[in-house]
Amino acid sequence: MTRGDRIVVAVVAVLAIAAWPLAGMAAGQDAAVAVIVGPGATYRVPLDAARRLDVAGLHGTVTVVVGAGSVRVTESDCRDHLCVERGAIDAPGAAIVCAPNGVTVRIGGRDDAPDALIR
Amino acid sequence: MRPTLSSGSARVVATVAMLVAVGAILGIVESALVPALPIPGVRLGLANLVVVLALPLVGRAAALRVSLLRVLIVAIATGALGGPAFAMALAGAAASWAVMAWLTGRRSVSPIGWSVGGAAAHVAAQLLVASVVAGSAAPLLLAPVSLLLALACGLVIGYASRLLLSRLPLVYPEVGTR
Repeated sequence: MTRGDRIVVAVVAVLAIAAWPLAGMAAGQDAAVAVIVGPGATYRVPLDAARRLDVAGLHGTVTVVVGAGSVRVTESDCRDHLCVERGAIDAPGAAIVCAPNGVTVRIGGRDDAPDALIR
Repeated sequence: MRPTLSSGSARVVATVAMLVAVGAILGIVESALVPALPIPGVRLGLANLVVVLALPLVGRAAALRVSLLRVLIVAIATGALGGPAFAMALAGAAASWAVMAWLTGRRSVSPIGWSVGGAAAHVAAQLLVASVVAGSAAPLLLAPVSLLLALACGLVIGYASRLLLSRLPLVYPEVGTR
């Protein structure tokens, strides 16, 4: 290995190390958000923000609580309360649906990129 | 660096054809292997070996022909023609060739350095194209790991090509020992 080769190897190694923080920034951009879609409005709330939202549904109010990386529905004016029983969700792509109220809560990335591409 | 074989001769045509054939086989073998990274189409670039060999033998322009032709043949053979993986392979091949062609102009860098630089440019270009295709920065998360893998793979390919080039005087008496 010549001196020039060592320089090339060192440059690639430094680029690889320098790419760590860059990769971290890319990860931060794609941080998970809770996407709450009601009949009248859509909200996007970062999962790390502590927030409480009263979403107007078709039959009444759905109370969505976001915090500590997860989101759940705590109260809802619907018959079966399936949305409340669903509990907290935190995985990307997971969803809570209150069908009677027409309200859905989904966890998505910044731009909801596909998990994978196959050809 | 002046190519060993003068351009336009039958030996150049035969050498380019042989390198394309070997490169296509390596590329097809590589596409059949378990992917090193969880992104379809990202390759470590075994087939880069033939471009490293082509640069000193037939020169920069012909080395680019070797690289692009092998990408086309591999894409036809694996059914990836025109797909996102094809765009990634094309970008990788072009970036890798550009970096290696530049490094061949530097006296202090040997084929090992060309190979490492080419492999790094190859994965970097592929990850960038993958980000554009997926419309997400997520593939760039793999950049550090990919570059380290490229470094290792580039060293292996570099040493292999140095070994091959050192044996070439048997076939090409014009090639001096390096």
